[in-house]
Amino acid sequence: MPKQAPDEKSAIVELQNVSRIYQQGKIQTYAVRDLDLIIRSGDFATLCGPSGSGKTTVLNMIGGLDLPSKGNVFLEGHDLGNLSRAKLSKLRSERIGFVFQAYNLIPVMTAYENAEFVLKLQGISENECRDRVMEMLQQVGLKGYENRRPNEMSGGQQQRVAIARAIVTRPAIVLADEPTANVDSANAEALLDLMQQLNEEEGITFLFSTHDPRVMKRARRIIRLVDGQLDKDEVQNSTTSKEYG
Amino acid sequence: MNLTKLAWRNLWRRKRRTLITALSIAFGVMLAVTATGIGDYSYSNMIDSSAHMGYGHITVAQQGYLQNPALDNKLRSADSVRKQVLGLPEVISGYERIFGQAMFASANKTVGGAFIGINPSQENSKHNVLIRSIVEGALFDNPHSGQVVVGRKLATQLKLKIGNKLVYTTTDRHGEIVSEIARVGAIFETGVKEVDGSLVLLPIDSIRKTLNYQSNEASVVAVVIADQRQAQKVQEKIKQRIDTADREVLTWQETQPDIAGFVALDRSSNYITQFLVGLLIAAGILNTLLMSVLERTREFGIMMAIGLTPRSLFKLVVIESLWMAILGLALGVLITAPWFYYLFHVGIDFSNTIGDDYSAGGVLIDPIMKIRLYRESAIGILLGVFGLSLISGIYPAWRAGRIPPVESLKVM
Repeated sequence: MPKQAPDEKSAIVELQNVSRIYQQGKIQTYAVRDLDLIIRSGDFATLCGPSGSGKTTVLNMIGGLDLPSKGNVFLEGHDLGNLSRAKLSKLRSERIGFVFQAYNLIPVMTAYENAEFVLKLQGISENECRDRVMEMLQQVGLKGYENRRPNEMSGGQQQRVAIARAIVTRPAIVLADEPTANVDSANAEALLDLMQQLNEEEGITFLFSTHDPRVMKRARRIIRLVDGQLDKDEVQNSTTSKEYG
Repeated sequence: MNLTKLAWRNLWRRKRRTLITALSIAFGVMLAVTATGIGDYSYSNMIDSSAHMGYGHITVAQQGYLQNPALDNKLRSADSVRKQVLGLPEVISGYERIFGQAMFASANKTVGGAFIGINPSQENSKHNVLIRSIVEGALFDNPHSGQVVVGRKLATQLKLKIGNKLVYTTTDRHGEIVSEIARVGAIFETGVKEVDGSLVLLPIDSIRKTLNYQSNEASVVAVVIADQRQAQKVQEKIKQRIDTADREVLTWQETQPDIAGFVALDRSSNYITQFLVGLLIAAGILNTLLMSVLERTREFGIMMAIGLTPRSLFKLVVIESLWMAILGLALGVLITAPWFYYLFHVGIDFSNTIGDDYSAGGVLIDPIMKIRLYRESAIGILLGVFGLSLISGIYPAWRAGRIPPVESLKVM
């Protein structure tokens, strides 16, 4: 059986015997089967595996966008299956940051407003919103782009805004689903630099779902799924990798 | 950014579609204002015209007069009742009048008809269409004059001209047949055949003498108020002001049930037409909002992922529908204003299409179609537009809030 990464830091996310079954007529399909997984504070981890291996499904369940058919998903001790839709929304806005593959931003809002929106949902004051958003935009290298709408920015710049929006609330974890899939190599490397920096300097936990070898190369922990089951969970550094399983 | 601002911006993603929908609301507003405004004007016009010509907006009469409007059923102390009623701020005039049937004879012919005994000093020629419609001669200048005013058609039938003698025969308060001779002082022509062919205006004191009435007796005191919609309120005030032991105080709806019925029926059919047009417009708004929601499925998924609750999403789409209503209403005001101004001040003259008879149900109507809009009608239109927009927005809003975020995010 595969083993978990060493228990050095506190667990942010815990999946206990989680299965996600899709019913198509009389046929049941397992997207995820009997998965046990722990994501710890400060992880820079990636979920990888072939298409249909259940990467995005796991990410969605951790983000409370989807619920398991069996088992439990805990985020900072909250069992997501027991939360109402409203409480899940609140938890997502306060404790989870999302970065999606594309069309991440609300097109009628400027870069500033996109990042500000999540803070406003939390009822944070105008002044604090302004300070935090401006700081985040500067951190992601978009100072001076506050008033640009998504259609006035490149794909890479849009993803930077999405990252700013994801971290401006100081979440427990950022879930990034194929964040580099729709940008060119240079922009992909720049985005990864940024996220790596945020992880190392700010201690923000990142969990990716990706096929991209550039992401996997930088991840310190690689969780490989095959047919919805954990195949490998290994910690790697720049020179070596250690497999648990 | 709050939801109201976001909803406003969302409205302008597809400018052309939004403008077309707003224009459909605007034309709906124009139609509603025109149809309701013409109704408000013509109903009031008809009611006022009938009130000034006959029983007033409110009638004070002897108990049972309406059931049996005979000449022996007379109102005592009519002059004192009139004075008391005129003290009310809503009342603009009060007329002592005597109504009756008579045979009118000239040297050539005899014709049956009706008379109204009036006091020229109390009458208001600006409002009384009979006096305003005098085409030859002039109204007698005192209540005991020996002159009468005859309808054009009746004068033609009797071959009467100004200055000719006319004999009217009726029954007095004791049921005795009485006759009086008078001269034609004026001829009126209202355009209503029934009125022009049968009605004669008599000086009230002359007819009192003929009927053996006391100088303070009349059939009714016809009370005219500034706004006919206040009739019931003023009726109550009058009841408190005068001795009602043997008198009755009636509104125009009670004395003119045919007009009240006509107005109610016409207004109802007008509302039904407007409701159907409103439904068509609502279907347009529904279509626009539904399309707008469906094409933003992924975006809604993103919004829910970053923490927007389904309830807030519902609210967002509802606010979009309200913005659409406000925009449509504003456009509606813009396109309706010049049209309303024209109809209010000038109107459309339908004399040529109506022909000679300007009446509906025996009541004179103005052949020039004008417009008035009562405050309650304007509020009704306003609420109608908002109500329909809100109803149209509820299904798309409900749908937006129902889509599970994980499904929305699959849409690219």
